[in-house]
Amino acid sequence: MHKKIAIIGIGITPFKARYLDKTYFELAYDATKLALEDANKNGAEITHKNLQSTVYGIYNELFERQFMPDIFINSYLGMNNKPGTRIATGGATGGYTVRMAYAEVASGISDLCLCLGVEKCNDCYDEQTGTTTPEVLNAIAYSADMTYEYPMGMMAASSYVTMVNAHFEEFGNPTEEQMALVSVKNHGNAMNNPKAQSPMKITVEDVMNSRIICYPFKMLDCCLYSEASAALILANEEKVKELKVENPIWITGVGAANTDCFIGNREDMGRLYSNIYAAKAAYKMADLDYDKIKDQIDCAELHDAFSGQEVISYEELGFVPFGEGGKWIESGGPFIDGEMPCCPCGGLIGCGHAVGATGIMSTGEAALQLRGDAGKHQLKTIEKGRAISHSIGGPGAAYAAVIIMTNEEGLKKP
Amino acid sequence: MSEKFEDHQIRDKIQIDYKYTMGGQSKFFIELMKNKKLHGTKCAKCGKIWMPPRKHCSECYTPAEWVEMPHTGTIEVSTIVWYGAAEFIKNVPYGCGFIKLDGADNSLFQGIFSENLVPSKIKKGRRVRAVFKKSDEREGKMTDFFFVPEDEYETWANKPEFEGGE
Ligand SMILES: [Zn+2]
Repeated sequence: MHKKIAIIGIGITPFKARYLDKTYFELAYDATKLALEDANKNGAEITHKNLQSTVYGIYNELFERQFMPDIFINSYLGMNNKPGTRIATGGATGGYTVRMAYAEVASGISDLCLCLGVEKCNDCYDEQTGTTTPEVLNAIAYSADMTYEYPMGMMAASSYVTMVNAHFEEFGNPTEEQMALVSVKNHGNAMNNPKAQSPMKITVEDVMNSRIICYPFKMLDCCLYSEASAALILANEEKVKELKVENPIWITGVGAANTDCFIGNREDMGRLYSNIYAAKAAYKMADLDYDKIKDQIDCAELHDAFSGQEVISYEELGFVPFGEGGKWIESGGPFIDGEMPCCPCGGLIGCGHAVGATGIMSTGEAALQLRGDAGKHQLKTIEKGRAISHSIGGPGAAYAAVIIMTNEEGLKKP
Repeated sequence: MSEKFEDHQIRDKIQIDYKYTMGGQSKFFIELMKNKKLHGTKCAKCGKIWMPPRKHCSECYTPAEWVEMPHTGTIEVSTIVWYGAAEFIKNVPYGCGFIKLDGADNSLFQGIFSENLVPSKIKKGRRVRAVFKKSDEREGKMTDFFFVPEDEYETWANKPEFEGGE
């Protein structure tokens, strides 16, 4: 039996295109304060002084215009003379940070750990176009292999799209229309999330008519880069009891895997193997079944940086057999009122992608669903008491992390 | 009483120059630059051909030996990029994808150029051939060459700024 570790506080700032009134460490402060307030609302009586350690999720030094940004946050948060460790695993930074915060508490080296993600990308600025995005993408492009792939124009979109195209070559899906449905769903779900950057009521046609970015991804198939911070407070079972926390959400599974960062080295280019290995590891730890997972969980917050990649993830996380992801979204399965809602908060396409904060936000959102505290986008029924959060990132989506959460009711269910 | 917020933004830049060594992979870039040759490596134990080359087989932990690869191959998967990083935006639209050189075990990411750049022209299964920059333009970098559909090879190889691989 694994150690019982709970999320006892959740703090998420709004995801916005640009905060002119906050630096990255000020955003981190906001999320930490919100997480402490949330823990206290649930019965704990703690301040930042009670937090014993921090695990920071921050992807990109070039966004923050600062190497080792974590130490500057550590100072601003009043966390001096306590351990703080930074995780940086591309788009999967958030999920990996939750995993390492879990490990820190489970190992016993910290009883009360702050798991904090932040990113502020839109200070990058392209003088040529007078816009931020091309320079943000420049800062990200250095994540590709600098020798063999970056010089050829390998970027996040061109890397992810090749995997989706390879999947299409093998299975005949996801079609452009099936991918567009993900965009319709996630922009739509974001309409009920006041913290989301891109709430939109749109149609498949709107997505199909949006400008081409990277064939066949169109503008509305892609998430926007966002500025935000998200924080979780993790505690072990004894601390949960001691603090008399109501409504703890237990982390019952953490799985992660790095697949080959060179897509050309993979046996099958149309698979995100990192997803498969991370999911299987997390499910095994949580005593869940890869082949029946859809019947064992209430919802999943997936990493939908690109619409087509969400469709493939349905298959890799075991929700549907390989090749059937496209059919599943057509059937309405992952919609908010469907068989097993995916990205009820709007995901990255609806909320925006504040890289280091994203996976921590999605873990927090899944936990809020299990607590019944998700607000306007709360699912009508939480029956199984379990949810998934999923993070993926890096060159060719090489990094993946999957987190399984369970509420008190869920712990009693087979 | 709350004070009205007024923002202040500054211009700044982070820039580093390099003289980067290609280490054990140097031969690949020298052969590319000087002789328009594409070298992979072959594991002495399992026989796997690594392309891009590796000095050691990551599976067997044994040395891998240099092998010259053909200039022809097959597109495994591709895309056409229409928007992107400031560094590449001047080149859009451009084709790129993974090419399995004949005899290789894995695929190489490269630019795929075409006179008629549409998805069907550079899709999976299409045969491609390498075209190189002129010798005085080659720097021993991946940008020294690119691939074109086999039926466009003569056209590209005869352009004044490029040459065929012989
Ligand atoms: Zn070998």
